[in-house]
Amino acid sequence: MKKNGVKMIKISSKNVDVFYGKKQALFNINLDIEENQVTALIGPSGCGKSTFLRCLNRMNDVIDICRVKGQIMINDFDINDKSCDVVRLREKIGMVFQKPNPFPKTIYENISYGPTIHGMAQSKNEMDEIVETSLKKAALWEEVQDRLHEPGTGLSGGQQQRLCIARAISVKPEVILMDEPCSALDPIATAQIEELIDELKKDHTIIIVTHSMAQAARVSQNTGFFHLGELIEHGSTDKIFKNPENKKTQDYITGRFG
Amino acid sequence: MKKKGSFLAPFFYKQSKVLFSGDSLNLILFTFIVLLGFTSYYFGRKKAYRIQYTKKRLTALPQFYGYYLAIWCAIPAFIIFSLWAIFEPTIVKLLILSDYSNQGYLDNELNLIYEKTKSLSRGQFTGEITPFIEASAKKYLNLRSIAQSSKVVIVLSAIIASGAYAYKRISSNSRTREPVEKFLKAVLFTASLAAILTTVGIIFSLIFQTIDFFKVIPLFDFVFGTHWYPAKAFVRDSSEALDPSMYSDTFGAVPIFAGTFFIAFIAMCVAIPIGLMSGIYLAEYASIKVRQYAKPLIEILAGIPTVVYGFFAALTVGPFLKEIGNSMGLDVSAESALAAGGVMGIMIIPFISSLSDDVITSVPQSLRDGSYAMGATKSETIKKVIFPAALPGIVGSILLGVSRAIGETMIVVMASGLAANLTLNPLESTSTITAQIVVILIGDQAFGDPKTQAAFALGMSLFLVTLCLNIVALRVVKKYREKYE
Ligand SMILES: Nc1ncnc2c1ncn2[C@@H]1O[C@H](COP(=O)(O)OP(=O)(O)O)[C@@H](O)[C@H]1O
Ligand SMILES: [Mg+2]
Repeated sequence: MKKNGVKMIKISSKNVDVFYGKKQALFNINLDIEENQVTALIGPSGCGKSTFLRCLNRMNDVIDICRVKGQIMINDFDINDKSCDVVRLREKIGMVFQKPNPFPKTIYENISYGPTIHGMAQSKNEMDEIVETSLKKAALWEEVQDRLHEPGTGLSGGQQQRLCIARAISVKPEVILMDEPCSALDPIATAQIEELIDELKKDHTIIIVTHSMAQAARVSQNTGFFHLGELIEHGSTDKIFKNPENKKTQDYITGRFG
Repeated sequence: MKKKGSFLAPFFYKQSKVLFSGDSLNLILFTFIVLLGFTSYYFGRKKAYRIQYTKKRLTALPQFYGYYLAIWCAIPAFIIFSLWAIFEPTIVKLLILSDYSNQGYLDNELNLIYEKTKSLSRGQFTGEITPFIEASAKKYLNLRSIAQSSKVVIVLSAIIASGAYAYKRISSNSRTREPVEKFLKAVLFTASLAAILTTVGIIFSLIFQTIDFFKVIPLFDFVFGTHWYPAKAFVRDSSEALDPSMYSDTFGAVPIFAGTFFIAFIAMCVAIPIGLMSGIYLAEYASIKVRQYAKPLIEILAGIPTVVYGFFAALTVGPFLKEIGNSMGLDVSAESALAAGGVMGIMIIPFISSLSDDVITSVPQSLRDGSYAMGATKSETIKKVIFPAALPGIVGSILLGVSRAIGETMIVVMASGLAANLTLNPLESTSTITAQIVVILIGDQAFGDPKTQAAFALGMSLFLVTLCLNIVALRVVKKYREKYE
């Protein structure tokens, strides 16, 4: 989306360092994420993509030994500031994980979980509506509308992942973080999710970590390349894939390492 | 011709010393078999090395040749040896008593004669010695010495024969691995069979005694009767005991079943909340360091012998409750259901906390992440995601705790008295199934007496209750496991 011809920056990270105990996992990351675009993070395993993603909704808080330094601004608000309420932050920034992780509850309860916690529905009707729109947006409604009260764990892998996406969008987040959402899925389910991501970017800003270069090229508008905890290069996906500035980026994209 | 036993005894004693006494002979023979087994292992292996030396390829590792030879040397000899030990006494007895057959002795008298014979031959007989007994004793010694020497001969020749056979097989480089593996399988099978058969045997003895009990006491009276007073049955002499009407209103099990469940209930009221909360704390809140020390500490509680809990309950908690009650103007018995149940609850805490800690910890981290990422707090996550996911496992741990509570004996015997009151007042004393079994079986008991059989009937009911609980608990736990694997 452009406003007055200028791309809106949704998230901006400045000098972000992350440590696991004494080990530094990210070095001085400066990356701006544009609003209503899909940003892909690529790079070899262990280079810190997931770590960076988890900084953005402060999921690293859960890990005792993890320390985050630097500034991460979302809507010009520093999320590492003391005044930041993690519960509100995670309402604004949803997350989808590598392995589908629906709760061992019914499909309906999986979706209503977030809205209940954040007190978003005043009545049963409102909740029903939230569940329905979320499932529709996640392109799952057709398949599950007559078994909303069956366990979510009974769905297929691809359906489970779309259920997790529906769960994430149920609280109307501004940003959705996806950590290799298709790596446990077959090609057809992957294609469905990719199509879905394209739809979702109308309403949400999406950051997706992926192992598949082809997927990054297909779904993203911007790409950042990580290597050994550093952000080597970032820019529009077109540019990164066709005309990378850095030798390492080129090597990785052409499959020479990784 | 009547002689005092003590006069003849040294003579017999000496004669019996000519050979080894039976026991030490057995020990020597047994040691010999074992030693031979070990040495033949090395022989077999050496043989294998020698075959290898001549550049022939072995069909198995050299150890297998060793095991093969050892098994063949020791096992047939050992089997003969054990069979001998089992059948020798019976056969000797038959031979001795055959002299007395057709003389109109009763079985009991025959047994007595045999016992006299044996003790005379051991030189321990002090009664009057008849010529008959003397002759039998001589014959007995004779038979025993024949038996012993033939045993030695047969066992040794068995070792030599089977060992030589196996050794020859080895030389022809035949298969050794398969027979050894088969043998191991057979040994393991026998071990598990022994465990199962013992269980089955215990259950059957329970069942038969229980059936006998219900022949005298109607099932209805047992299950619905409200007076449990087995001491009443004990006062009567054996002639009266045959009259079932005497036992009416004596073996009504309702008070002790009620007492059992009541005390278990009190125990679970203590154990479930504390156990569960500490389990949740350990699994979700405690740092790795705290958990490292706290968990073993809590598990030590499970290692304290119940008798220690018992005197804790009887000497500390009981009197303490009584004092508090008295100061509030309540009439509290020093032996109260509350004291026993409360202490029992403390005993069960570690089971519940440790098991529920395990099931909570095994809830996948991805579910926690999923919940936190939705903006849920820690307590919301525990309440809405982790606890429901772990619930079946937690229920399983609680059921196991209940079956511990129902089966617990010592604490109740020591702290809650032995009188089977039918009461729901936790400040009074009540009794439980286990405590009543103790009451019944302490002191002189005769088999076949309804009072003794009552213990079996109680044991049976206890067994059924805990069996059901355990089955349900295992089912629930298994179902839970399937969900995440
Ligand atoms: N919980 C953790 N504790 C310690 N080190 C971690 C943890 N998570 C990740 N790391 C380390 O941080 C580095 C980056 O990991 P990660 O962000 O998962 O990489 P990627 O997602 O790109 O494969 C790796 O070297 C990894 O070993
Ligand atoms: Mg990763």
